[in-house]
Amino acid sequence: MSENTLSKDAVVVERTFDAPAGVIWQLWTQPELFKTWYGPEGFSVPVAEMDVRVGGRHLFCMERQTPNGSMKMWSTGEYLEVIPNKRLVYTDSMADENGNVVSPTAYGMNDDYPATTEVTVVFEEQDGRTRMVMTHAGLPNGGQGAGSGWEQAFAKMAAQVETLTKGK
Amino acid sequence: MIRSDELRLDLTFAALANATRRAILARLAVGEATVNELAEPFNMSLPAISKHIKVLERAGLVIQGQKAQYRPCRLDAAPLQEIASWTDQYRAIWEARFDRMENTINQLKNKEQDHE
Repeated sequence: MSENTLSKDAVVVERTFDAPAGVIWQLWTQPELFKTWYGPEGFSVPVAEMDVRVGGRHLFCMERQTPNGSMKMWSTGEYLEVIPNKRLVYTDSMADENGNVVSPTAYGMNDDYPATTEVTVVFEEQDGRTRMVMTHAGLPNGGQGAGSGWEQAFAKMAAQVETLTKGK
Repeated sequence: MIRSDELRLDLTFAALANATRRAILARLAVGEATVNELAEPFNMSLPAISKHIKVLERAGLVIQGQKAQYRPCRLDAAPLQEIASWTDQYRAIWEARFDRMENTINQLKNKEQDHE
């Protein structure tokens, strides 16, 4: 994949933290610290195994409690660049609990969702503050697939509302 | 141009960041409904529900009819299509993550101070 194809469908998020780069680096590379922030809203991160060196792998688990029990999403990938306090690049794929890559459709994603995406984090420290630029590349563009993602979500919610209303 | 797009996205995301409002949208996805009907499944007063509907209206997600008596609400999915791309969904996820990262940093700082 060329640099251009990657950047086309990327999310770039920039933040400046009032802390040295070494602290931010630890938040990305130390499991116990990583777990404190990585789970999306409503998710916890019970597992964050990481072998942070070039060629090393990670295995993350995000867990959400639902009325139907807990839902776990596993992801794995490889560290491609590891330059402490400066630059971290790793791939990310949906996985099972043993770290085997699975198709995104196994998690109910549309089939336009790529098997592997890539996360690049660059840190720049100045006067004790750190500017961090995170690029999540390789996401499918096109609103279509995602449109149906939202449609699916709303269909599920509609079903839930119906159950609630009937239960009354 | 980009700014107003982003503002609109902010409004949409803010409107969606509430379980009651999402449930209202889900109900409207099945068909239009009056405020009374929307309030029914919730243990909430009509004014409280009306407030939620106002937020959804401001985000352009709900259109309230002008028929004096019933004023049924219906869903306008256009803003949802705008936030429909994976990149936007992921942006929201990462932004929230980095908010939490900020919290952790503050906690680490407090701990450090305690040790000093």
